[in-house]
Amino acid sequence: MRLAPLVVWGALLLAPIRLEAATLTTTQTLSAVISPLGGFFTIPSSVPLTKTGTAFNNFTGSLSIPYRERTTQSTGGGTITVEATADFTPVHGPSIASPPSTGDALTYTCSAATLGTNCSGPLTVSTTKATNVVTFSATECTGGGGSCSTANPNTVTVNFTLTDDPKYKTGSYSATLTFTISAS
Amino acid sequence: MKKILTLVGVALLLTAPLAHAQLGTSTGTTTVTVAPVAEAALNITNGSTPLISSGTNFTNYTGSTGLTYFIRTTQSGGSGSITLKVTSDFSPANGPSVTTPPNTGDKLAYTCTLSGAGTACTGSVTSSTSASTSVATFGADAHTVTFPGGDTETTAWTLTNDPKYKTGSYTATVTFTISAS
Repeated sequence: MRLAPLVVWGALLLAPIRLEAATLTTTQTLSAVISPLGGFFTIPSSVPLTKTGTAFNNFTGSLSIPYRERTTQSTGGGTITVEATADFTPVHGPSIASPPSTGDALTYTCSAATLGTNCSGPLTVSTTKATNVVTFSATECTGGGGSCSTANPNTVTVNFTLTDDPKYKTGSYSATLTFTISAS
Repeated sequence: MKKILTLVGVALLLTAPLAHAQLGTSTGTTTVTVAPVAEAALNITNGSTPLISSGTNFTNYTGSTGLTYFIRTTQSGGSGSITLKVTSDFSPANGPSVTTPPNTGDKLAYTCTLSGAGTACTGSVTSSTSASTSVATFGADAHTVTFPGGDTETTAWTLTNDPKYKTGSYTATVTFTISAS
């Protein structure tokens, strides 16, 4: 008689335990702060200024600058600027800071910006201050179309002109221009 | 549950580096290069050069032609010049002539005055229809002094007033050439 309960308990103890995985869910909030940003891709390492004819007409050359930009919605902005961070060398040729004749200048115009508003010109390159190439307004962005540009990256063309002053000695001269992009 | 959390962590790790790879640089530089070479240019400031004889005793005809010129010669070994040539003799016939004047000694001659770079021709030079004659010469590393206005040269002409010239109007063409090396 006592054996029966034991058997029952044993049966109960020995009965297979059904294993069921308990499902528990939890959530994780992911967040990303998308900031305004601007960046250049590869700017050509040099821009040669050349001319045709021999009547002391100006030297000219062009540069295409690839960039990406994202400005803050509603209140943002940004710019691309240029500054001569090294004047022409060696001496006795063209000079941005101290040209041999008043009126000699390295100037530029801007065209075909695929995002932002390119400068109107001609503007004069300076060794003491950055001058405008492209201006961005709020809610501007590169790529994807819709409210952003179709082009990715964007580009702008800068067209340079340098006075051909007879006072320049013959030879080869070079200057360094630094472009800066910003976004807010 | 453990497996689910592991998958989410891997996804975040994969995303982050891709975002950094899309960034460009905020500054970029380029080198502007230029190579001025020997060059020369000139403009004649007169539309025409009338030769006039003042007085009544067959005094020579005189007049002047003005030039504005620009020059750059090579630093080492360069040179340059301004020359002129009568490319079309006086016409119509029976008046003055550079090639076949009615009298030996009749001539169209000139002197030169420079204001700027170079050396002017020396003395009175007889013009020719068969050869260029000198107006100015330039040595190595010569440069226009006044820019953008240009340096100036004045060619002062003298034409013999030969009585054998028939009355009338006569014209000739003179071509000025500037060169630099």
